[in-house]
Order: sequence, then C-alpha cells, then structure tokens
Amino acid sequence: MPRTEQQSNDRFNGKWFWRYASPAAFYPVAGTIEKLCWFLAISLTIIGLYIGFFRAPTDATQGEVYRVIYIHVPAAWMAMVIYLAMAFWCAIGLAFGTRLSFMMSHALAPTGAIMAAISLWTGALWGRPTWGTYWVWDARLTSTLILFFLYVGYIALAAAFDDKKKGDRASALIALVGAVNVPIIYFSVQWWNTLHQGASVRPGGSSMATIMLTAMMIMAFAFWAYCIAVAMNRLRTQIIERERSAAWIQSSVRK
Amino acid sequence: MSLRIAAQAVFRREITLFARRKSDWANPLMFFLIVTSIFPFAVGSESERLRLIGIGVLFVGALLAAMLALPRLFDEDAKDGSLEHLLTSPEPLAVLILARVAAISLALALPLALATPAFALFYALPSEVAGILALTVVLAVPTLILIGAIASALLVAARGGAILTAVLVLPLTIPTLIFGAGAALKVLSGESPAAELALQVAYFLFALALCPLAAAAALRISTD
Repeated sequence: MPRTEQQSNDRFNGKWFWRYASPAAFYPVAGTIEKLCWFLAISLTIIGLYIGFFRAPTDATQGEVYRVIYIHVPAAWMAMVIYLAMAFWCAIGLAFGTRLSFMMSHALAPTGAIMAAISLWTGALWGRPTWGTYWVWDARLTSTLILFFLYVGYIALAAAFDDKKKGDRASALIALVGAVNVPIIYFSVQWWNTLHQGASVRPGGSSMATIMLTAMMIMAFAFWAYCIAVAMNRLRTQIIERERSAAWIQSSVRK
Repeated sequence: MSLRIAAQAVFRREITLFARRKSDWANPLMFFLIVTSIFPFAVGSESERLRLIGIGVLFVGALLAAMLALPRLFDEDAKDGSLEHLLTSPEPLAVLILARVAAISLALALPLALATPAFALFYALPSEVAGILALTVVLAVPTLILIGAIASALLVAARGGAILTAVLVLPLTIPTLIFGAGAALKVLSGESPAAELALQVAYFLFALALCPLAAAAALRISTD
C-alpha cells in the first residue's frame, strides 16, 4: 500500500533525528559540534603531547624516535575510520537521497586523504632510523598508500561533474565499491609481503608501557576531535555554497 | 527467453564491431608490444636482469593495454545515442552490460593472452612461465574490464575521463595483479601456482558477481 504524505511525515516526526537531515536544521548544530571539537582537539593535543614528549620514557630499543608514534598511529587509524564513515554516509545518501549525507562524505574525504598522507609521511620518517629506509613495500604501508589512492579517486570523481547531484551519487558509488574492495586489497597485499612490526595495540592486550599507551590514546581522541571539527567546518562551508539561494541562508548566515 | 535474445544481440553487436574495426583490438596489442619492448632500453639487456622484471612488465603491460579499451565500453555509444536504447530496454541492464563486457573481454583478452608467450621471449622467460602468464592474463583482463565498466559508466557524464579511469580502476586491480604475477613467479621458482591461481579466479568471480550490478547502477546515475 502506498504511503500517504501524512503517514510518511508521521514516520519522520516519530524519529527526531530525521529533522537533522535538513541542511538548514543541521547547520547550527554543526557549528556547535565544531566549536566543542576544536576545544577538545586543542586541549587533548596539549595534554597528549606533553605526556608523550615529557613524561613517557625513552624506548629501550628505538630511542627517542619512537615518539613519532603519537602522531603516526592516530593518523593511520583516522585514515581508516574516515573511509568507513565516508562510505557509510555515501550508502545513506544513495539509499535515502539525503543531500546532507553526500555533503558529509565530501567534507570527510580531504581529511581522510590528509590523514593517510600524514601516516605515510611520519611512517617514512620513523622507518629511516629504525628500519634503515624511508619506504618498504610492507603490507600496511602499501595498503595505506592504496587507501590514499581511493581517497584521491573519490575526490577527483566528485570534482569531475558539472552537475553536482550527479557527482554526489557517482562518487558515492565509487566510495562503496572501494569500501567493498578494501578488505580484499588488504588481504592480498598481506599475502604478497609483510615486514611491519606487529600491531602494538590490539584488543585484550598491548605490548606498550601504560604511560605510552595513555599518551597515544589521548592523541587518538585529539585526532578524532580534530577530524570532526574540520569536517564540520567543511560541511558548513558546503552548505553555504550549495544552498546559497535558500531563504534561510540569506537571512541567517549573512548576519 | 527474450532476455537471452537481447543479451545475445548485444554480444553479437560488439563482436561484429570488433571484427569490422580491427584497430579496436589491434591498437591495444600494438601498445602492449611497444610498452614491453621499451623496458630493456631502460634496464639493460642482460637476460638475468630481464628475467627478474619480465613477469611484472608483461602483466602490467597487458593490463594497461586493456585499460585503453575502457572508453570504448560506453563513451561512443553515449555519443551516437545507442546507449539510450540499451537503457530503455525492458531487460535487466546488468545482464546486458555483462554481455557487452563478455564480448569486449573476449576480443581483448584473447589477443593479449596469445601475444604474451611471444613477448615473453624478449625477457628470456622459460616456456612454462610464459604459459602460466598467458593464463593469468586471460583471467586478469576480464577482471579489469568488469571493474572498469563501473568507472567508465560513471565517467560517461564527467569531464577528463581517460586519466580518471586509470586513477579509479588501477588501484582496484591490485589483487588480480598480485595473484596473477604471483602465480607466474611461483612457476619461475619451480613451485606450484595453485594457490595464487585459485585466489585470482576467486577475485574474478567476485567481480563477475558484483560489477555488472554496480555498473548498471552507475549508468543509471550518469544518464539520469
């Protein structure tokens, strides 16, 4: 039986969060989240780096250089998490046709690409003194590089369309194709070669000293907060750019 | 029954086009020949060294040659309007795309795979390695075309298609590259390539199951 408009309105009213699928309703919320996350990102970074640089002991085998871990590992985590988040919003956007979801994934993509680049770059700086080389074709390095390519492909595809709506859906589809392939690529690259030190942090046990782990976790939360803050900032810019002709922008944002 | 007729018609049309316009499969073949023959100028002509890089050069060369044919999938049809006919057909679009991919794969994979053992002579590769390389190229080219169908369906409506196709498609072909070249490397070192071949077939079947559906969705998006 086809739903009447009244019924579908009831359905949406029943769940309060549907309201925030509207760019106009989410715009101020995004602003609040952004401010909160900037505060968290800055204060957690100060605390995390202080513990990591001045309180945590020097590593027994790697010396001082291991401290790059406080940037490297959170960036690598974020690169993976953001791709998942991006693919999630792309799926939501394709399923429900909510334009805010597409804007959200566009807002996340550059940050994800930067996180992948940071983790590769700091990894190279870490690899030079410990492995004796900037780059090795190890499974995790290689998969991060491929993840970076997937981000670049998504961003380039979204930019290649004059019709923004078409670009939204096209790039969402490619993000989903990438998300399906990421585990396969990861597995095949691992099959191909592996040399990276085993993961230092895994559920149920960790090979790191508690204070190092504490600093790294604080830095991980700082990176989360930073990524959310910049994504919200970019989202707000996108909303203004795309909805610039809407009345609520004319009246509220201009002020 | 009419689905079978429609799919056959699409398949036959592509094969006929390939038979009439020989440059469509001959040019990728020439590209493959030229790419594989310029590498020795860069690395030197000692057979030992050539044997080391030969498998990789041949495999990547074949993939790049097949990439050249990707714009042919939907671009020309979008220009001359025959894509509209495909889209308005009552038959499931994914099946029609699959028929087209099958025809293009056949017309490209066969020449490239047949050429591979001949070009392997440039790299002083033993004949059993050349044979397994031809087999893995037969598997890799359709995999690439299946993945490429999604990208080229999306790019019908976009600017700057050719470069973007490479950016979108090549990262996703890495598994088939690893397993295909890995199988040949195993044979070169005298081991059994069974595991790599099985995984390469698995990736091909995975692409075969999902790519036509994704490509159909992509075509609907870009011609919307």
